[in-house]
Order: sequence, then C-alpha cells, then structure tokens
Amino acid sequence: MGLRPFEYVEPSSVREAAQFMAEHPEAARIYAGGTSLLLLMKQGIVRPDYLVNIKKIPGLRYIENGGGTIRIGGLTTHHDLEVSPLIRRFLPAITELEPQVANIRVRSTGTIGGNLGFAEPLTDLPPLLIALDARVKVAGPDSERVFPLEELFSGYYETTIEPHELITEVQVDERKPHSGFKYLRFSVGSDKPAVGCAIGVRLDPATGACVEARCVLGCVAPTPLRVREAEDVLRGNPYRAEIAAEAGRIASEACSPLADLRGSAEYKRAMAGVLVGRAVQEAFRRAEGQEPEGGRR
Amino acid sequence: MSKVSASGQTIGQSVPRVESEEKVTGRLKYLDDLRLSGVLHAKILRSPVPHARIRQIDAREAEKLPGVAAVLTRDDIVGNPAYDSHYGPIYKDQTIVASDKVRYVGDPVAAVAATRPEIAEEALDRIEVEYDELPWVLDAEEALAETAPVLHDKVEMRREGFADVGGIRPKDGTNLCNHFHLSMGDVEKGFRESDRVFENVFTSPSAQHSSLEPHAAVASFDGPGRLTVWDTVQNPFVIRDLLAEIFHLPLSKVRVISLNLGGGYGSKLYPKLEPLAAALALKAKRPVAITLTREEVFQTLTKHAARIYLKTGVKNDGRILARQCRIYLDTGAYAEIGPRVSKKSAFTAAGPYDIPNVEVDSYLSYTNKVPAGAFRGFGVSQSNWAHESEMDIIARALGIDPLELRRRNLLQEGSAAITGERLQGLALNECLDEVAAAVEWGKRAEPKNPSLARGKGVACLIKTTVTPSVSSALIRLNEDGSATLYVGTADIGQGSDTVLAQIASEELRIPLEQIHVAHSDTDYAPYDLSTSSSRSTFHMGRAVQLAADDIRKQLACLAAPLLGVSAEEVVFENQEVRPPDGSAPGLSYKALFMNIYGIKGINLFGKGLFKTSTKHKDGEPLTSSFWSIGAAAAEVEVDRETGQVRVVRYATAADVGKALNPLFCRQQLRGGAITGIGLALMEQLVYQDGLLINPNFLDYNLPRFLDIPEEIIPILIEKPHAEGPFGAKGLGETALIPAPPAIANAIEDAVGVRITDLPITPERVFLAIQRKREEQSAQAHLTKS
Amino acid sequence: MIRTIRMTVNGAPHEIEAEPWETLLEILRRRLELTGTKLGCDQQVCGACTVLMNGLPVSSCSVLGVDAAESEILTIEGLAAGGELHPIQKAFIEHGAFQCAYCTAGLILAVKALLDQMPAADEEQTRHFLAGNLCRCGCHLEILRAVRSLSGQPPQPEEA
Repeated sequence: MGLRPFEYVEPSSVREAAQFMAEHPEAARIYAGGTSLLLLMKQGIVRPDYLVNIKKIPGLRYIENGGGTIRIGGLTTHHDLEVSPLIRRFLPAITELEPQVANIRVRSTGTIGGNLGFAEPLTDLPPLLIALDARVKVAGPDSERVFPLEELFSGYYETTIEPHELITEVQVDERKPHSGFKYLRFSVGSDKPAVGCAIGVRLDPATGACVEARCVLGCVAPTPLRVREAEDVLRGNPYRAEIAAEAGRIASEACSPLADLRGSAEYKRAMAGVLVGRAVQEAFRRAEGQEPEGGRR
Repeated sequence: MSKVSASGQTIGQSVPRVESEEKVTGRLKYLDDLRLSGVLHAKILRSPVPHARIRQIDAREAEKLPGVAAVLTRDDIVGNPAYDSHYGPIYKDQTIVASDKVRYVGDPVAAVAATRPEIAEEALDRIEVEYDELPWVLDAEEALAETAPVLHDKVEMRREGFADVGGIRPKDGTNLCNHFHLSMGDVEKGFRESDRVFENVFTSPSAQHSSLEPHAAVASFDGPGRLTVWDTVQNPFVIRDLLAEIFHLPLSKVRVISLNLGGGYGSKLYPKLEPLAAALALKAKRPVAITLTREEVFQTLTKHAARIYLKTGVKNDGRILARQCRIYLDTGAYAEIGPRVSKKSAFTAAGPYDIPNVEVDSYLSYTNKVPAGAFRGFGVSQSNWAHESEMDIIARALGIDPLELRRRNLLQEGSAAITGERLQGLALNECLDEVAAAVEWGKRAEPKNPSLARGKGVACLIKTTVTPSVSSALIRLNEDGSATLYVGTADIGQGSDTVLAQIASEELRIPLEQIHVAHSDTDYAPYDLSTSSSRSTFHMGRAVQLAADDIRKQLACLAAPLLGVSAEEVVFENQEVRPPDGSAPGLSYKALFMNIYGIKGINLFGKGLFKTSTKHKDGEPLTSSFWSIGAAAAEVEVDRETGQVRVVRYATAADVGKALNPLFCRQQLRGGAITGIGLALMEQLVYQDGLLINPNFLDYNLPRFLDIPEEIIPILIEKPHAEGPFGAKGLGETALIPAPPAIANAIEDAVGVRITDLPITPERVFLAIQRKREEQSAQAHLTKS
Repeated sequence: MIRTIRMTVNGAPHEIEAEPWETLLEILRRRLELTGTKLGCDQQVCGACTVLMNGLPVSSCSVLGVDAAESEILTIEGLAAGGELHPIQKAFIEHGAFQCAYCTAGLILAVKALLDQMPAADEEQTRHFLAGNLCRCGCHLEILRAVRSLSGQPPQPEEA
C-alpha cells in the first residue's frame, strides 16, 4: 500500500531542522531511520504533511570515547553499535543486546536517536541505557541541554522533549571496575520483546557485596521502569538466590504490563520476576569476573 | 545432486528444480511481476463491521474521481443478466460484492478500478455505506444455539458441483452449514464393554497460510464473451468452471492461466479475486489487475478453528473398543470448501486405529469471521491434534508406554476403514518405529540447568486424498525428439514441474533438459481437478505415464516395420527406438519422423486420462485412491519457570510409496514439520469484538530461524503403491499434521502437564505448571493432615 | 514534488525521477523493472524485499527512494556476474535451499551480507542474522546447509 503524499525537507544542520520543526509542530515529523515512523504512516495512523529527513545532517553519526565518556551520535544506527569495537570494549552489554533488536534490516537503518525519540514501549535499548546511567543531549534551534535518559520518557510514545528538539547524542560513562550488566528479554515469536529487563551491579571487591545496583524493566509500563525498591534489596548484599528472587518479586509487583497478543498482564508480571532473578545472577557473575563481559561468544 | 542420464533413470534422483536458475537469479516471473499494458488497478472496500445489513450504498462521488474507470457495488450485481450474483464451490453463498449483508470484518462491499492504485484507493474513501448492525457470533458451537444470529437465511446449492460432496446440505435458517455423520459398529455397546472411558475436549484456533506471495489476479474480456484470467491459483480448472457458470460462458471461452506460485498451502484454491476482477473488467471494458495487501490476505481465507469432544472406551490392556468424536468446525462467514473439509476429515477422525465401534459427528458452522477453507492438512490436523493427544492421556492413565499403546491399536493390513474400505499397504508400524528410534525413544536427556526439562512424544496419522478425481495430461513429442508436457498442475513451489518432467523423461527416455512443462493454462492443458490434497504426484504423475504410454504405442507402430519387429518388441532407449536384439541399428525419434514422413513438422500427441472412483474394480468401496501415512516424534526442552518450549530434535516419517525425487520428499517433510511446529507453538488468529486483531506478520507469529529445531530428521519409507507412478504417492501434508500432538506429548513427558488447546504458548505451559504445583502441594497438605 | 535521485543499482548508475513518498522497492520494481525483489508484508518483518544498500541489508519496502540517493544498491539481479552464478546462488541450488522461492531473493542477499560481515559464521550466528527472513515453505535447514558450505564450517553428513 503506497504512502500518502507529503512534502519532503532535507535540512543540512540541526539548527535548520529544529527551526523547521518549531514552525510546524503538528504537521511535520522527524524522519531518521524510519523504522517506526513509516510503519505508522503506512497504516494511516500518522499522516504528516512534512517529513524532515535529518539523516543528511553531517556530524551526527559517531561513536567516540572522550575522557571516560562514550558519546554516541543521534544518527548512529543499531548496526553501528552492534559492530563497534569501542562499544564491545567499553559497553559489551550493548554489543550483546543489539543482535536481539528487531531484525537485521531494522538495525541497518534504525537510529539510536530515533529509537529513543519515538518512545516505543516495546523496545530493548532504553532499559539497558538507563541501567548504564546514560544521559541524552537534546538540541533545539538555539540551545542544547543534557539530562539523564531516565527523564526522557513520559508515556506510551511520549517524551518530555519538545517537537522541535532533536536527540543529538547519547552519553554513557565508562563502567567502574567490578561492575556487571545484563539485559534479558522475553519474546513470543516476533521481532518485538514482550518483557525486558536490564540489571547492573557494582561490587565491593573485598566483600563481594553490591554497592550500587540498577534494575530497569522494559515493555511492562508506559515507559522503561526503574525499580528502585528492587535495587535497594540488592544493595549491601553479596549474591544469594533468595535476594535475587526478592528483587524479582518486587519488580514484578512494581510493573503494570498491559495484556496483549504477547500475553496476559499476570504472565508478563511473572516473567518480569523471572527475568530479574536470572539477570541479577548473571550481572553478579560478570561483576565478579566469573563470566566474560558481554557474555560468551 | 546427480546428472540426468540419457538412458533414463531420473526416477529416484534428487534432481534440482528445473526452474532453479530462474529462481535464484530473480528472473522467474510471478503474477505480480508481469507488466501487462492497459490494465486498470483495483482496490476493494471492505466491511468494517462483523455483521450488518447494508441500508444504503452510494458510489457516485467515487465514480466522478478522474482516473476511475469503474465502480462495482451491489447495484451492478443484483439482477444483472450478464452474470450470477451468487457463487461458491459447493454452496452458492458468496457474492462478488456484498448484496444484502456483510458477514465479517473484511467482507468485500464495493470495488474500484482506476488507472493508478492510488486513485482507486482514494475512490474507496468516497464510497458512502450505511450499515444497520446486527448481533454477531464468533464461536462455532455458540453459532448453533437457538438464539444465535443467523448469517444466511437460505443457501442455494451449486447445480453441478463436485462428485464427492454431492448430497451435502446446510440447514436453512440456521448457522449449521453442514452436519456429517459416520458410524461403524455400536459405540454405546463398546463403552459398556470398556474398562475405562475417557472424555476430553481439544481446541485448535484459526490460523493463516501466510504464503509469501499474496493473492493476485488479472482479468480481461478479450473479445465479446471471451474471458482470460491470470491467477495465483492452485486449481485453474475449477476457477474456469466457476467463472463459466457465473458469467454464463461456455468453458471454451474462459481461459485461466496459472504461473509459478509463491506458496499456496491451500489458500489459493477456489474463487477469491477472480469473479470481482472479471466483473470490473466487464464494466470498465478494460483489463483489471488486483493484488492483495498482506492484511487483505489475512481477511480472505483461513484455517478452520475446531473444538473436538472425544469419548474413548478402552480395556485395561490398552485396546480401544469405542471412540466417539463430536467435531465443531468454524467455517467463518462463507462455506467455501468447508463442507468437504468437514466430510473428509470425518473419515479419519478416530485416528489410524483399528477400533470396532466408531461414531463421528462433524458439525460445520457459519460464524462472523474470515471464511475458512482448504489449509494444508484439510481438517485432519484438527482431529489428529485431538486423538493423538488423547492417546497419550490414555497411555499415562493406564501406565502403558505411549508408543506401545499405539502399536496395540494401529490399523493393520486388511483392517476396515470406517467407510468399509479394506486398507492395504499400511506402513504405520514402520513410520512409528523409525521416528521413535530417530529420537532415541526411552532415553531421557538431563539438562544441566535445573530449570530446564526434556521430554519426548510421538504421534501418527492417516489421511485421505480427494476421491474421486480426474487428472489428464497431454504430451507433445516434438519433431526433434524433445517433449512438451501440458498439465493443469500448478507448481506452487513443491517442484511438480520437475517431478512430472522426471516421469516423462523416464518413460520416454528423453533427457530431462529436453522436456519442458508448460505453465498450467486451461486453453492448452487438459483437465486437472486441482493441485491440492497431496494428489499431484500420484494422479497427474499417473496421467503423464499414461500419456507417455500413448506416445510409445504410436512410436512403436511407426518404428516396427522399419526395424523389422512387431510393435510390442520395440525397445526405447536414449531417445531412440531399436529392436531388442540389435538386429538393426536404432533410430532417433527425429530420424524416425523424417524417415516416415519425409517432412519436418511432425508431432506426436499422447494423452493420458487418470480417473479414480469410489469403488474398487471388484465393487468394494474405495474411500481414497491412496492414504497418506506417517508419524512424528519430538524431543522438547521446557523452561519450567517461563513455560517456553524449544523443539530440540524432530523426526518425521512418511510412506511415500516411491521417492521419485528424494530431495523434494525431504523438503516436504522438513518444510511441513516447520509449519507444524508453528501451528503447535505460536500461530493463532485472534479476534476481539468481532475484529481480527492480528492480520499481519508483525502480530501473527510465524516460525523463524531461531524457532527451528537443531535437527529435523526426515525419514522416507517406500511401500510401493500399485497404481502410483513407479509406486509413488503423495506426502505434502503428512509432516505437518502430527507436529502439534507430538510436541504436546513431549511436553507432558517433560514436565507432566497436558495442554489441550493450541497454540501451546509459553503462558499456557507456565499456567499449567503452576496449577500442577498447586495441586501437588494441596495434595501433600491433604495427605499430611 | 518530483525529485531526481541518483543511485547506482547493480553497478549501473541511474537517474530516477520520483516522488519522495515512493519507496526504494517501488522504484526498483516499477521504474527500473527489476522485479526480482518482492513485496511480502510491507512491514519490514518478512525480508522478501531485502536489498543491500551500501553493503547493508535493508527492507526496501520501508526505505524512501530519496534515502537511497547516492547509494549503491545491490539486488538479486546484480549478483550473478557475467552469466556466472554467484557461489551463494550455486549453493542454494545444490542444497535445495528453496521451494516456491518467493523469499529467496531476500534470503540470498541476507546471506551475502552475513558472509561479508562474518565469513566464518557459525550456525548460531547464522540463525540470528537470518532470523528476520521468513520462509513459509520451511527451507531453513537447507539454507543453513548452504551457508555452512560457504562459511568453511565442516559439512554435515550428506543425504542420499
């Protein structure tokens, strides 16, 4: 089914793009990888008058490590992340996650800025990035700001940024020593995840106790859900199966999944608990150095 | 991969498909790839509601849109002398576009033909339709209740329908599309004599064929009263018949052409788009092309959802004395080929077992869902799911090994089918034994991870093929000794062009490379019933043999005097005729023609007609010209905490009679198994508030590379069939049918839970495991106190 | 507003006049008459429309033509060079890696992308990489055999 006609705009700078979006907040949509947007356009759910192709803007596609912070340009694709030696070295949990995202073709064109900006609830990357304490840089026509990624999402397909703001960069600090991260997803056929969970722990090497923890769930709430109560349970303790199970129980109660084709709400809750328990175990192993970062290949 | 030898013997060789190079280079043209000049593009306006009367329809604004050549509504089809308003393969309950009512979401209401697809699409928006909504029903059993909303008040029968479904009738004024009853012996007596009686209910959902190639058709009235349709169709002659009926044309004036199909699996049988495309072409006076979107394909045809009540009486030693089957099949809004699905599947509803007392009642209901029709397995997958699951339930209750229980009850040589036919050449035992051995039945693997459990399960099947039926073939022996085959079989991907060419090559001693199979075109090919029911190798293969025989006879008559032998003595070898003893040199076919006729351009035509009937030569009943026999064994790994099921290893055996092309046979077994695994674990059409909510590949789960077992072991058993070409019979559906019960049985073996509803989603397994834990702890509690 | 799009398709430069809402697939099939690439689902799920854009597999049904400007596109028609089948095409024939073949063009290109990135891809990597290409005829195991034969993995025992 053919796409309905639209006006096509190719800005050559962030400022130009943001300016245009500011002038047409309702009628224009930012077009990056198009993996989500074109689908909605084909279904007739979204009917923009203008498509603003930001892929021609130079200088937005990069992966760099500067002073201990990995900076990822907003137009970096999933594939770029998947094959990047820098990501493999410094953020191997992302390298491990990427092959599970959608399918190989979506990864070729889908961008990290698009993925975050679309705020699709059934997605893999945001929970892990939040667990990694990622920050996002957003640019308007005349300004830029940086804030924690956790603050980007406000609801199903809703972000806290203005229509005229572009996500230009994602920043993740290098992990501290003795930390381990694991992302697990549960899916029923299909490219989309039904439940996702990202766990991070940092241990005291002397005692093996967890000094810092992150527990972020995906797909089970309107936005990625950070479950601080589960983190509290992990903090101060070395790994024990009961602690992991308790964290899982708390997480499963904290989430509010919707029943859909992928499962009932109760089942998704239960799976959130199972995934948390398993991811906690793996994260501890990685923090202890028992398992290689990024898993076995 | 082996080369063809000019001395014949291509039979039994794993020859690659004759169209292989075209397929891997993208050169092969499927229907949507054709660029026919002057065609209009059509789009369909579909009902947004499940059940309603059409109060009013106004297409005037649509007609005015520049570029619109014709709009079709009920005003065109009701009372139009040019064509019938109602049609259908068995019941005439379908209309080209809706006349008085719409009966499911997606039911075609109007259609537009325009110079560009975008214009046709825009025109649809301008058609105003007012609906008076009616209550709707989505369940086959509920649809039979007194108070259920009725979809069809009165249904006309097709006057000259298919021979095997003559006498089938709906119950007017109800949603009972058909009730089919079969019985043998006395089931009540059988239950009284049983030691134990089991009662279970099994369900399987509606599913979708999901051919990668969507339905398409191009219709053209070339001249007055002459209709040509290019069609993605598996049975071009049936389409020809129905179009001739609808448009009041003699058969000679209707031409249906089928190219290579991108998959069919039953979805491309019987009219779908053709009457609508033709009606638009007639009105617009220009050819009309239509290709469905993926969503529309989901709204066109599905697999029958089923609920099956089984009651089985057994002795303590496992012998089954009686089985009663009550089957509810959901045929959706229109009957389509549903009554045949219902009837044929009833024949084998009790399973491949020697049961003295059997009663089958198959109820086919209309509901407000997408019509259901032929789907690979044709009703047998649904009943096989039921009886093969129940066999294991019985086995575990009696403490007998599930494999052993089957062995004690299998149909044997000379057993009577429920229709009275004496069955010969059954290889059920061999199939079961082979698959069990292939998965190392009796050994249990222990995964290191304590949350994983492994188990094994088996299932076996028997299925009929449509009988009676007709297949004819025409072979032209060209003047240079090459041959052209004219057959109505559609190559839907199964490799029929290649196998039929192999048969002709073998019979006529012509190298495979010199044989061309012309596309099925009803103007040139003789009649074939269909490419379905796993029937083509057997029936069309036999027809090709008969046609080749005809040619050999003619060649022999021509050659005998030249060779100085009698016609019966003529030997065919290497594209030559020669005497048996070398007393004269051989003559190539080409030289033979020149020798006799002295002029180029002489062809020989051989014709072969293969017709089956419902009686053996001795008058004994014949239900099926051959029986599909097979078995499957699955080894699964279940994650106790999530309910996820992984099929680790899968063995599938089929009696193929003779493997004419072993590679193709294995492809059918592996490919069928994979679809079977999809149906077992993940495929279902989901309705909510009368609406099909997953009509696309994003939300309808199909098996992908990550879902395929580590190993699928295809096992070919060869018990030659007396009538099949070189002993061959069909196997297209065999591997698909037993997959779901084999997997469910393996899951019970692994974690002790029984799932009776398909698909076996992780959630269902998870809940069953939870329930079992709760029951066990409740029991432990009881025994303590 | 019609745009002029320059792209290289199968090594040949093209200048295409198209509207911005025309997809790469529509341009390939309708304007360039390269019908080997198929439309299966229009949702980026099935992979029948896979082409390589600058070496990477993309869903041509969901790439705008304007996005393919200045790109090198490889379709199935461009694989066989000078009348000689590409090794992947030969392997597909040899191992019976297709039946109806509607998915085949997309799969062959996906395999090319796989082996370009990972010449020694093992089975797990292959299954993951190809997970986004559907085959309803169920030729998955034959396809894995074909890839095996190209990736230098030891062959599985041959069937008769």
